[in-house]
Amino acid sequence: MKPAHTLAAAIAAAACATAFASGNPEAGHKKSTPCQACHGPNGISVSPAFPNLAGQNVDYIQEALRQYKDGRRANPIMKGQAANLSERDIEDLAAYFSSQKGLETKR
Amino acid sequence: MQRAHRFALGALVACSIAAAAFAAETPPQTAAKTQAPAGTAQGGAMEWKAPLQNKIAQCQGCHGIEGWRTAFPEVYHVPKLGGQKPEYIIAALKEYKSGERAFATMRAIASQLSDEDMEGIAKHYGAASNATTAETEKK
Repeated sequence: MKPAHTLAAAIAAAACATAFASGNPEAGHKKSTPCQACHGPNGISVSPAFPNLAGQNVDYIQEALRQYKDGRRANPIMKGQAANLSERDIEDLAAYFSSQKGLETKR
Repeated sequence: MQRAHRFALGALVACSIAAAAFAAETPPQTAAKTQAPAGTAQGGAMEWKAPLQNKIAQCQGCHGIEGWRTAFPEVYHVPKLGGQKPEYIIAALKEYKSGERAFATMRAIASQLSDEDMEGIAKHYGAASNATTAETEKK
């Protein structure tokens, strides 16, 4: 890869990172008490029925919460939890759980 | 990742979707010819008999690529599966197979999976990751 391309790629990557990092993990931590009851304080869930969230992709968590909120994804527990979340809350919570160490891209 | 690899993986996913669509078309004819009892072809697509490694290869086409994103209807990174709870992976695959969860790509792939396939996939992705290590260390 040419240096100019590398630079362009780095800028593009940084721009994407900024776009996805719109939530505040600290604020998300404060809002995450109800989530922790099932998904664990460290994002490792307390029961096999619930998914681990630690390190999950930030935009995937956001998308899941939006789908629970508007009913595209139907789950009785998550519907209730997501119903009152604002877009800001969704971004903060996603920022918090995605910042934890845990899940990884495995081949 | 090299372009050729991406293309190959993309082609693999496309093939599996096509295979699911083909399988969905096939059962009624077979059922009619052999006069199989009603309900054998229930649920649309038939399960695809293949070694587990081939089934996992289908997952890898998207979930095995760092930073891979969905294309439709919304664009976001596909979830990381390494270190996920195996039971949760099975539950999610069953929801895709039954149509409870409506993502078209996952529906097409999950519809070809048997319970045994799902267990194998869940075991593969649930094992050997930071998350499971963290969990083990806690105990």
